[in-house]
Amino acid sequence: MSVARSFGQFYPVASPLHALDPRAKILSTAVLLLGLFFVDSAAGLGLVAVAVVALVAVSRVPPLTFLRLLRPVAFIVALTVFFQVLFSREGETLFAWGILEIHEGGVRLGLFLGGRILLLVSAAALLTATTAPLALADGLEDLLSPLKKLRFPAHEVAMMMTIALRFIPTLYEESQKITKAQAARGADFAEGGPLSRIRTTIPILIPLTVGAFRRADELAEAMESRGYRGGEGRTRYRELRFRQRDAIALAATALVLAGAILL
Amino acid sequence: MRLELRHIRHVYSPGTPFQVEALRGVSLSVGPGEVLGIIGGTGSGKSTLVQHMNLLLEPAGGKVLVDAVDATTLKKSELRRRVGLVFQFPEAALFAPTVWEDVAFAPRRLGLEEAEIGDRVRESLALVGADHLKDRSPFALSGGEQRRVAIAGVLAMGPEVLVLDEPTSGLDPASRQDLLRLIRTLRDTGTSVVLVSHDTDEIAEVADRICILEKGEVRAIGSPSEVFYANPDFAPATVSTVAALNETGWDIGHPVRFRETLRALAGLMEG
Repeated sequence: MSVARSFGQFYPVASPLHALDPRAKILSTAVLLLGLFFVDSAAGLGLVAVAVVALVAVSRVPPLTFLRLLRPVAFIVALTVFFQVLFSREGETLFAWGILEIHEGGVRLGLFLGGRILLLVSAAALLTATTAPLALADGLEDLLSPLKKLRFPAHEVAMMMTIALRFIPTLYEESQKITKAQAARGADFAEGGPLSRIRTTIPILIPLTVGAFRRADELAEAMESRGYRGGEGRTRYRELRFRQRDAIALAATALVLAGAILL
Repeated sequence: MRLELRHIRHVYSPGTPFQVEALRGVSLSVGPGEVLGIIGGTGSGKSTLVQHMNLLLEPAGGKVLVDAVDATTLKKSELRRRVGLVFQFPEAALFAPTVWEDVAFAPRRLGLEEAEIGDRVRESLALVGADHLKDRSPFALSGGEQRRVAIAGVLAMGPEVLVLDEPTSGLDPASRQDLLRLIRTLRDTGTSVVLVSHDTDEIAEVADRICILEKGEVRAIGSPSEVFYANPDFAPATVSTVAALNETGWDIGHPVRFRETLRALAGLMEG
């Protein structure tokens, strides 16, 4: 069993955030993600940052683990800051060397944009770290269900998400097995440059894809033989309940955001 | 070739709450032209054990010896050519557009000449009785045919030891018999064979020596008649029958294979 943590991974502990209705968390996150684009002052970003740090504390996800969840996007943040600092020509010149010029406005803008991306990603990571994948899918289905009137297949989309999440570990295991089988036939996956690396993965990707299609067929048959026929009239094993605390959480998010936009 | 494992230990996920000690000091060997049968229940460590034979898994302790040479000193590609490993359900790793190309994968990786590759592919396909399939797509074959092709893909390396993990699971009776025949043919040409299975009837028919694995340890190792008569819970149908007869006062020895047992029973009826 892998203990590696990556972005979007669920961290199973008991906390007030984990206990919230997934719909409240999805809505809060969505509001926050959209609202962040209207925050245009450093003080506003600071306010949101304080709120996010507080939420991480409440979530009982160890801070170091949480930072590790963010690691995959650190590169994008760094790249954004780097380009802003390098190519923006606003404000006082802080440093000049040949064609290289660093301006005060560039540094400010770079840090601001970097901070915004970091907060966007942190909010999303907080949602996935505190919400089990199945609860997330259930919540999304429920939120999307008004769109059913517009013929949007909300149930089907949620079912697809659930199945995809369920099969990640299975496919991972399968890929390990195939890799070993090909290694036993002399395949060497560590050698050569990027092009020859792509070539050496073909003996893994093809059987993996063939296997995934076979599995999909089998799953479809198994679902049909158990009487599955889509979302129509289907009841839930786990009923979602929107409680007072969920409303409070949503309202608090909106309040913090409004404050940040006004600041 | 002589393949020897000495005190092999293996631990999955060491240092985590999921830590499992899968092998606790396993020692065994297989000599040239010998068939070693390994049996054991699910979770006994059989599949973990076979992956140490070509060092796809590295042992936490102990040594793998290839003709008395420490396997870690050999090049990986050399070791994997000499010790051919056929995984359980090997057909899951077929990938090429034609059977011929798939079987040619391993010899090509060895960097052989095109003519030599052709010879190897033809020979291995003939050995498994699949020469007529060479131009077909491996994905269009039946399960039994796919299994044969996958085994040919390992045979094409010309291994000196062939390790087969549950090679007959899911096969029809005729394909099973063909596979047992293949094992005998290979043994007669001096190849060492390790056969892992939980079908004791099948193992009894081809194995020269038997090893019973239990909870990551060797519970018994020796000749089939020694091991099977001393471990009735792993005994094939022939041994159970004879043991029951012996218990009721008859004495017809300790036959293991079907034909030996028939002969012993025929002697009983004549006498």
